[in-house]
Order: sequence, then C-alpha cells, then structure tokens
Amino acid sequence: MTDPASTPLGRMLMDEISPVVMVLTTPLVEAACQKNGLSFIEMLSPFCAFSNIDVPVRTASDQPYRLQKFKLRLFYASDIRQPDSQVARERLLEVITQAGEESLDLHTDAPQTDDLLSRSEYEVMPSWFKFFNKELIRVVSFSDHEAFDHPVACLLVVSTKDERPINRFVDLYNPDHLPSLLNDGAMDPKILKLYLLVHDNQDDGPENTTKLLFEMKSTFGVNVSQLLCINSSQDGLVEHLQNPWISPKSYTSSTLRLGHFLNKDDVNEIRDLTQELASKHIIPYMEEKVRVLNQQVSATRKGFRNQIKNLWWRKGKEDSLDASNGPMYTFSSNESQIRVLGDYAFMLRDYELALSNYRLISTDYKLDKAWKRYAAVQEMMGAAYFMLNHSWKESEHCMENAFNTYLKNVPAGHQNATRCGLWWVEMLKTRDQFKEAAGVYFLIAGEESLHSAVMLEQASYCYLYSKPPMLRKYGFHLVLSGNQYKKSDQIKHAIRTYRRAVSVFKGTTWSYIKDHVHFHIGQWYAFLGLYDAAVIHMLEVLMCSHQSKTTQELFFKNFLNFFQKTGKACELLKLPLPIIDASSLKVVFEDHRTYASSAAVSVTESLWRSFEEEVIPSLSTARTNWLEVQSKFTSKRPKESNICVVGEIIEVGVEFKNPLQISIPLTGISLICELSERSDDGQTDANITGGMLNDQDSKLAADRLLNSSASVVLSDVDCVLEGGSTTMVKLIVTPREEGILKIVGVKWKISGSVSGCYNFVANPMKNKTATRTRKHKHSFSDNLKFAVIKSLPKLEGMIHSIPERVYAGELRYLTLELSNKSEVAVKNLKMKISHPRFLNFGSAEHFDINYPACLQKITGSKRSGPMPMQREGSDSVFLFPNDNVIRKGSSLSWPLWFHAAVPGSVSLYIVLYYEIEDIECSMKYRTLRMFHNMEVLPAIDVSFQLSPQPSTPQKFLVRMDVTNQTSSEDFQMDQLSSLGNQWEISMIDPLFHPPLLMSGQAFSCFFMLKQRHEKSGDSEEISSLHSPIGGDVKLSTKDDDDSLFDVSLSPLSDFHNCERLYQEKQSEGGSHTVDFILISHQVHNKNNPGVSHSPCFLSNHACHCSILGSSPISWVIDGPHEIFHDFSASFCEVSLKMTLYNSSKTVASIRINTMDSSHLGDSGSVFSNQEGWYNVPLESAIKVTSDVRGTILKSLLWESAHPTIWSASSSTKLQLGPGSMAEIPLQVCVFCPGTYDLSNYAVQWNLQPLGAQQNPESGPSSGTCPGYPYYLTVISSSSG
Amino acid sequence: MIVCVAIVGHQNNPLYIQSFTEGDDALKLHHVVHCSLDVVDERVNNPKKSGPMLNETYLGLLYPTENYKVYGYLTNTKVKFILVTTDLDVKDADVRNFFRKFHAAYVDAVSNPFHVPGKKITSKTFAERISTIVKAFGLSSAG
Repeated sequence: MTDPASTPLGRMLMDEISPVVMVLTTPLVEAACQKNGLSFIEMLSPFCAFSNIDVPVRTASDQPYRLQKFKLRLFYASDIRQPDSQVARERLLEVITQAGEESLDLHTDAPQTDDLLSRSEYEVMPSWFKFFNKELIRVVSFSDHEAFDHPVACLLVVSTKDERPINRFVDLYNPDHLPSLLNDGAMDPKILKLYLLVHDNQDDGPENTTKLLFEMKSTFGVNVSQLLCINSSQDGLVEHLQNPWISPKSYTSSTLRLGHFLNKDDVNEIRDLTQELASKHIIPYMEEKVRVLNQQVSATRKGFRNQIKNLWWRKGKEDSLDASNGPMYTFSSNESQIRVLGDYAFMLRDYELALSNYRLISTDYKLDKAWKRYAAVQEMMGAAYFMLNHSWKESEHCMENAFNTYLKNVPAGHQNATRCGLWWVEMLKTRDQFKEAAGVYFLIAGEESLHSAVMLEQASYCYLYSKPPMLRKYGFHLVLSGNQYKKSDQIKHAIRTYRRAVSVFKGTTWSYIKDHVHFHIGQWYAFLGLYDAAVIHMLEVLMCSHQSKTTQELFFKNFLNFFQKTGKACELLKLPLPIIDASSLKVVFEDHRTYASSAAVSVTESLWRSFEEEVIPSLSTARTNWLEVQSKFTSKRPKESNICVVGEIIEVGVEFKNPLQISIPLTGISLICELSERSDDGQTDANITGGMLNDQDSKLAADRLLNSSASVVLSDVDCVLEGGSTTMVKLIVTPREEGILKIVGVKWKISGSVSGCYNFVANPMKNKTATRTRKHKHSFSDNLKFAVIKSLPKLEGMIHSIPERVYAGELRYLTLELSNKSEVAVKNLKMKISHPRFLNFGSAEHFDINYPACLQKITGSKRSGPMPMQREGSDSVFLFPNDNVIRKGSSLSWPLWFHAAVPGSVSLYIVLYYEIEDIECSMKYRTLRMFHNMEVLPAIDVSFQLSPQPSTPQKFLVRMDVTNQTSSEDFQMDQLSSLGNQWEISMIDPLFHPPLLMSGQAFSCFFMLKQRHEKSGDSEEISSLHSPIGGDVKLSTKDDDDSLFDVSLSPLSDFHNCERLYQEKQSEGGSHTVDFILISHQVHNKNNPGVSHSPCFLSNHACHCSILGSSPISWVIDGPHEIFHDFSASFCEVSLKMTLYNSSKTVASIRINTMDSSHLGDSGSVFSNQEGWYNVPLESAIKVTSDVRGTILKSLLWESAHPTIWSASSSTKLQLGPGSMAEIPLQVCVFCPGTYDLSNYAVQWNLQPLGAQQNPESGPSSGTCPGYPYYLTVISSSSG
Repeated sequence: MIVCVAIVGHQNNPLYIQSFTEGDDALKLHHVVHCSLDVVDERVNNPKKSGPMLNETYLGLLYPTENYKVYGYLTNTKVKFILVTTDLDVKDADVRNFFRKFHAAYVDAVSNPFHVPGKKITSKTFAERISTIVKAFGLSSAG
C-alpha cells in the first residue's frame, strides 16, 4: 500500500491545503523586486515549499511529532477573495486553445490503442489537463465556509526607501483594504502580523537600515520584525545554475534574466527568511491556536452533557433557519471554531484530530441544514480518511456524499462539486478504480460544453486504463468529448479526440460509427482548410453502401468538394470506389492463337488446346513429361510472359462494381501500361512495379504513361455506374513497338475531377506467409506482362450466312472466307471442326454449285456432281490443297456443308491452322479459332416401324410416322430413300402423295420394303458404282424426274455416315436393319411472299430400323412442345401425360423409371469429364450447351448440372390388363430456356405367363425400352 | 418502450441492429450498443458473479445510461443480444421472456440455409417477427 502523501491526490491536498500568508507590500518594495523581473511573492514563493523543514509539532495530544514537508501559500491581500469565474473561464479557454494548436500535428498518426496502453497514464494524458483541473479547483478557493484558505498570518513588507517606514507599516494594515473575509466576520480579524523591511542594496549602504530595523523592533516587537536585503549584485549578471523562478513563469520570454540581481547571499537570505517564517512563526502560532481551540471545543462540546445541550439547542433553533444556506456562522461561533480547528489540524498533518472535529461538526451542519458547509466538511472528512489511509470505503462514501449534497442541495454548487469530484476521481484512480473514476468524470461533465468536453476526455482515458481496458467506452467517450469540443469551437481538439477514437473502431464492422467519425474528421479538417487530410478521411467513408441514399450523396459530394479544393486534380488516388475485383480481370490477347469472334474468346482455353492438338505441330505440344515441358518453356520464353504482336490489340475486361445507391459517373477509364525495351533486365522492372502503391509512385506511373504514349495506344472509356450495378468495361491497349509491355493498373476519373487508380499487381510485401499464395500472385502479375514481338500476318475468317436458328434436319451450303490483311503470305492451311455431324467440309468442286440442284440425281451415266470426300488424316481435320497460299490483301473462300442433325443447342468449334511464309518470324504458325453457337429447333420427327409380312418373308410393311413439331412452319416431303443395296422400297399405293405437312400435324403412310435377291453380277456392278443403290420413293406431287435426290452424293452421304455412327449405339445392329432418309423442304407461307427465303431442304435420317417385331407395350407421351415461360419468376413446370397400351394377351406389369442423371443409359460418359475433343454424342452435348445458351460459356461447373428434373415420382409401377390402356401423369421441371429431349426414362415391362405353358411365339416375356425422343422447347417469355 | 434491439456476433460484429424510435438517433444507439459490449465482456470475464448462474444466458441490466437501460443476453455461441429500453422499472422476468423469444427468432433466422453465418441478418421475416416481439413487450410491460 502506498503512502497516501505520495499519491497524486496526497500531493494535491498537501499543496492546496496549506497555510495562507497574506502579503501587504508598498509600491517601492514591488519596484525593487521588479528589477529582477519578479513580483515580491514570485520572488519568495520558490522558497515557500519545504521538503525537509523538520519542525517538532505538538497539537492536541501530548505526543509531539515532527513535520518534514511543509508549504506556505503567499497571496496578496487583494487576491484573497473568490476569483472571478469569468476571468477564470477566459484563462481556461486560452490554455485549451493553445494546447489545441500544439496538439494538431498532421504528420504524426493518431496513437494506436495498443501503443497507448503500453504507456503510463500520465504520459498519454495531455499535460494541460492537470492545469485545467487546478484552475477548476482554484475557482472555488477563498470561500468563507472553508477555513484552510483563510490567511493564517499577515506579512507586511515595507521598503527602506519608503518615507517613515514605521508609519507605512501601520498604514498598510488598513482594514478598508483588507479582504472581505476579515471584515465580514467569516474569520478572526486578529491574525498574526509579521513585519518585513526590504532593503535594496543597490540604493545605499546598510547604515540607515540597521537604524530602521532597530526602530521597528522596538515598535512591533523583536520577534516579528525582519530585514531582507536584496539586489546585492551590482552588475546584474548573476547566472543561476538552477533558476528557481523559471517554473512559475515559464511562458515568458526572458526567463534567463529572472533574478539576475540576486546573488547567492540574497537567495540564502530569502530561504532563511521563509524558513524562519514557517518554523518560528506560523507553525507555532497554529499549534497554539489548535491547542486553544481544542480546549474550547472540549469544554463546550465534548462529554455527554454538552452533547445533550447541543442537541436541544439546535432543535430550538430549527424553525428560524434559512433552509438553503444555513445560518451565518461568524468566526466566534462554535461551529466555525471547530472547523478552524479541523483545518489547522489538517494543515499540521494531524489527520486524526482533524477527522474527529470534522465528524463532530458535520452532524451539526446537517442538523442546521447548512448544506454547503456540510458538504465541505464531508469532503474534508474524505480527504482526511484518505490521508490516514484507514478506510477506503469511508473516504469514498464521504466524497460521494459531499458530491451529491453539492449537486442536490447547494444552489450553484456545481463548482464545488467539480472540485469534490476531481478529488474523488484522484482517490479512485489511486485505488485503480478507473471505471468508477470515469463515472465521476461523467457526472462532473455538466452543461458547459468546453468543461464537459475536457471531463469526458479524461473519462475516456480512465476507461482506457481500467483493467481490463474498456476500449469501446474509451472510444465512445472520445467521440462524446469531441462533439463537445466542436460545440465550443475547439475544432482542433475535436479532431484530436476523434482521431484517437478512430483507432478503436478500426477493423471492426461497426460501420455507422466509423463513418460518423471519419466523416466529421474530414469535415473539420476541411473547415480548417486542411483539405489533404480531409480527403484522406473522406476516402474512408466513400464505401458506405449500408448508409441511406441521401447520406451516400452527402458523403460523395463532400468528398468531391474537398478534393477539388486540394487543387491536386491530376494526382492519382487509390480510391476505394468503385470496387474492382482483380480476380474478375479478363485479358484477351492474340499470340499464335487468334480469335474470330468474342464468343470464341470466351471458350475455355483447355477446350481449345485439346481440340487443337491434332492440328498444330506436335513439337510445341507433345509433352512427354512435365519436366521437359518446363525446360522447354524456360528456354523458349525467358520471362515466361505472354506474347503479343505489335499492332494487335490486347483487351482487358475490368469489372467495376458500384456498391452505392447513387450513380457514379466515370470518365477516362484507361489502362496504365508501361512498355520497356526488351533489353531491360527484369530486376529493375520488378523493383519499380513492387513499389507502385505509394502516391508518389503512382504519380511516377502517370508520368511514365505520358512518356510511353507514343509506343502504346490506349483506349478511353466513359461510363456511368448505376447504383448497385456491376459493369464490365473493356479496355484496349495496342502496342506500337517491340519490347516488354506491362499492364500495371487501371485509372479513372470520378465526376471528372477525382482521379483514381487501381494496381492490378498486388503488393508483394503483403503476402509473407504462404508460399502458395505468392506463387499465385506471381503468375497473376505475369499474366499482365507481355513480350511484344514484331508484327505478324493474321488471318481473319468468317463463315458467311451461318444461321443462328435452324430446324432440325436442315441442310445448308455455307462459305468460309479467309482474308489476309498483312504483308506476309500464309500457307499450309489446315482446319478442324468439332462436330462433323453438323458441319462438314466441301471440296474444291463445290464452288459455285447450284444448291440444291447439285444434289439431284443426274440421269445420264456420267456423274459430274460432287463426289464423297476423300479425306487425308483424321476424320475431322481438313487439309487445304497445298497451292492455297493466301497472299497480302487477298482472301480465300471455301465451301462448307451444314446439316442440323439433332434438335438442341449446338456449339461448333472450328480451328484454322496456318503457317507463316516468312521464316524470320519468331512464330512459325498461328491458329484462328472460330466458335458458333446455334439453336436447332425440332422440325420433323420421323419414325419407322417395320413389320414382316407373314405371307412373304422378304417383304416388310413400313409404317412411317411423321410429325411436324414446329408451331408455324409447313413442310413438304419430297423423297424417302432406303439405303443399302439389298433393299427396294415402293409405295403401297403408287398414286398416293402425302399432303403438305402443316404445323403440328402428324401423318403416317405405308411403304413396301422388299429384300432383293442377291445377284453376284449386280453386286459387282453396284460396288463399281461406288454407291449403294437403294430405293427412292418420290413423295412430292411434282412430276419431274430430275427432282429426285441422290443420297449417295457428297454432303448427304457424308452426313448419313455420321448419323449411322451415332445412331448405331442405340440398337444392337446386325443385318436385320435398314436405313431411311426422308428429304423434305420447307414450304414458305404464301401470305407473305415479300420475305425471300433461300430454298431450304431438310433431310431426316433414321438408321438401323429393326425389321423384327417390337415389344408388346407401346406408349405415347402427350404434352406441350413449346412453352413460353418467364424464368425470372420461377422455374418452369411442365405436365405430361403418358398413355400406355398393352397389346399382348397377358397381364403386364409395367414400371416407368425416370432418370435425372445427365447420362442416359447408352450415351456414354459425361461431357465434362472428358478432357479433349472426341466425338461427343449430341444427346449430352445438348445438355451441355443449352443451359448456358445466351450466357457466356464460361463455367464448366454448369455442365454437369442437368437443366431438367423429373419432378413427379421417379418410378411408377402399374399392372396393365391385356389390351387395355392406362394414363400416367408425368411432370418435369425446367430451369432455363432451351430445347430438351425428355427421353431419359425407361419402360420396363414384364408379361405374366398365361396359365402353365408359355407360348413360344409370343416373344420375350420381359424387356426394357428406352424412352422415345420427346422434344420440349421452352422459350423465355421475358426475353421475348 | 423498447428503443433498440441488437444482435452482436461472437467477434463483436453487429449482425442485426434495429431501432424503434422515430427520431434520427441511430448513431447514438449504435454507440450505446457498442459500449454495452464492454460491459458484457466484463461480466463474462469476471467469474465471481457467475457461480450459481454458470449456465445463465441472461446477463441482466448491463448499465444505465442517462436515458436508457441496457439489458444483455449471451448465448452459448457467444452471440450477444442487447435490449435498450427507456422504461425505468422493468420486471426482470419480462426481460428474460423477451430475450427467450428473441433468441428463438434468431435461431430460426440463422437456420435458414441461405443465411451466411457471421453476416448481417437481412431476413424480412425476422425483422417482422422482432417488431412483433417488441410490440408485445411494450404491451406486457405497460399492462
């Protein structure tokens, strides 16, 4: 436990509660002292605090003790009165304003809380707090109810130069000029008088002085008369090693000259004088008084009799009292005397005696309802308890009691309460009860804003130093305090407190509070004209998406306003607004890979790469193992940077996100790039990029940007970011010279004034932990680094009139056009197509042919039509003839055939490879990537059913079911051909012609299929003709032989081969199958002949139709084929109805299984699992592409999700009687628009045996049938 | 009358804060809630009081500010519920009851599979439910 006297409160009490000496001087004394730049009191006061006075004291008890520390307070008589509160307030204001100037240091950061916690309280708190508190206490000094401020002695000082000094002494003690305390009876006017004669040694010799002193002694008494000689130094050049006067007058300028006429003897003389004053006069006088008073008090108040008497007397007095102020107690009253006794004892450090007297009198005052006096006594009791170090609880209780009494019962007692509160706070702080201390500070904060600001700030520090630290309250009180400072126009202080508060809220998600703090700091800085600092804080509040729109507007407007005032319009800031997601960065550039369209760019690189493998030279892609690849790469590209070509654009897509509700206009969005010479070593480059985050460096970047503008062409984009929107901005940079191009960042201007920038390359200092992240960043920054090589030829290619929407089965003739706009020719062209089932190469003869006439059969023996292609190499790679060199400015056209094989969305990938003729080029070849996505709508659904004629085994009845699945188009069937040399087909009724197939119409017709007898001669002849002769049946009404199509000619037979390949999987094949091709054409509506259509033929291929009988269970699915649905509202539910029919003679148990998994039982593996380009069955290709149709094909994840789900039961089981029908409802959910094949179900049937024996002719007793194709087109109604 | 209710996550991040006053004192209430976290911390870290109430979630009156009384409630996952009221004499049982309902509503809200744990609660249903509970509290304490 520490000694109370050494605590801050103890020291404060010993300072404040010490004997007061009233000083009366003549003007000549003051004049003599002023030679030293000091007043008389100032001259003496450094010597009035004694640290080792060692005086024996005996008060009430007989046991003497020794006083060590003592202090006298000297005051001029004119100062012994209640200080003017107005003056005091002005002084406080001055102090605070001055402190505010000092505190506003822009260059240092506000201290962090952790930092503050590690330092002691007194270091952290501004030093003027102490002064402020002292002033507050001083305001209530010299009140009449507290005796410790009453002068104990009076020091009369007369100069030897005064005329008739003895008379001057008498004149000085003039009752008219004495303080009111002595005159109005609050204290005893008979006080100890001491006489001092001051002699200025500069004036004349001491002879006269001795005489005067003798005269004085005879007049006033030997003991009380003194002589003080000053200014012994004649030249005034005395230097004091430790000038004792400096501290009280530290703020004046010429501190060095203070006391320069006082030599060592003078100083010693002053010290002796004050010591004598204290030890020989004041202390003994006080001792004496204590003893006298103690005896009086004992006589009147101690003992049982006196107490009774006292009680009775007070009761009688009660009625006549002024309730608020209590009676006027004169110095002679009992109460005053007890108080004086207590205070004197306190000053003489006899706290026990003081306490007992205070206790005695406090009950009296309480009974008298003299609340002010009562509170003051309670306060002193608390102090006495504290100094005694006895009972902390008691002392606190007394303080609290006093405090509350001042506040509640004493009018205008706030100042007293403040003093009491400050003492109380110190008391609590001594006991580490910081939290309670903060509460007291809060209580004394009061109304006046400046006062409360200081108190609240002190309270905040108390919270900071409480254990554990209450940081949130610290922050809150700082904010409260700052608010009060602002109210009293102390903006600098307000900024200081708010800045400290910032550290509390930093890193938390209490954004409202954070915004408030930063916004106000910003505003105040702006008010002071410090716009730079204001902008820094306003930057913090820009990201205020949680605020209301008006607040956002306010913040934004203020920010712009302050920024404009800084006058640094060209400086680049690291703006938090708008948000740029570095991971969203999309860089498109062309090295050896070039793209025909933006859609081609968006296809995943790995898809392209595996697709290209066959086409490009194996040297660069043949990866025997990964080590080799690594070494090859490093040897080829020393910096592993990307390669781009002079004059070819690099497109960078940057996503700008505006989190606010207000719209932000952005102008001049462009990339920050640097193009350096290739010879630069990478080390220096890296250094520059690493330090790019500082403001200075970003300015540097701007400079560099200007310098390099000649070699780099940048695009400028303007856009307005609407509230809450995300905008992808495409920025383009075109290098004009060879070298190393680095894309450093992006810059933009908000509202045309504030320039912001964003560095794509993240700060390398930041990632120090995981090496994995570093690697990632490294590669990321490398992605933005390009080696610019000299210009290369580049082919531009396009397929003319490629349709976006076709009907299934449509056959089209397309032209591919390749053009070379550069100087150098290209050669060795190769081409690969992903889906030969859909798109196929034509041959050179296909130029200028007349489609569709070229497909028709030519009756003559010579065949001049297109022949089936002879392909070299792989199935899907096409080598252009060697003489095809595309020279400068020329172009090449090539025919292509397109056949829409299956409904659904289809993505066609085409890669064109070419080599550069110029050997010196650093790149030998380039590829052109083309991508087309199209929607194939279901048109004609055709199915064949063959049943053997029981009478003639080689003849079959063919039933062709044709359905027009479109909603608006009509079709005319032209021809049905059966393929294979052993078949002949004919119509049952040769005169019958199938009618026009209207939209939605279904139609069946019957044919006779005959198996030819094998003739050896025939077969040879057929093989020499190189095409199987099938039977063709003309279905159209036109009587024109020429209009028969030759299905053995190039595009048709090629596509048919493809179809065979795909459809093969669906049945077990064998020789019992026959292939059919149905050729039809679209009949255009005659109502609008204005619309010209190209002649459009459709060929439907049905392969491997089995000639064996089918299952006894047949079914059909009914339901809509085309649905409009708004997908923004919900997903689409489609109800279907399945009608089952059992044609057998027994009861069949049927089970319908719906499968939601993306692979059908027979369609092979899932697309997304395949890394590479294989002949992907289109059933799954439909699923892959249809769900991302319309959106960018970027997420591979989607591909595994099936866009349709059977939403009813996954398995239905039922019993079906012989020859009966049943209807089963089905339901399917569709999640995005597209065309879907709902054949992913299977019907399992099981015939129950009829009776005991089984009929062997009835076929199998059980089986499983896969679902029939059923196409459902769902069109988004919102998109139209 | 309940002025403000708040949910604060275990990292002292605000999850939900809703004031029920007409005036524009959101900032003030934010501050009050934020400060009360200090008291919650103090309660939790001072085990001297929690002997018999070791498993008690209700923290009682946290601190009276000049106009408000702040009550607290701490779940086992260290999520804090704060209630700021202007009523000067509130029955402890009422407050307890309120917090119990509040807690149930919170549990339902975070059980929503679309809710991201640790993020602010934006559910409208939750907000409606809370305002119902708050209104009910006003009636019960008035009556």
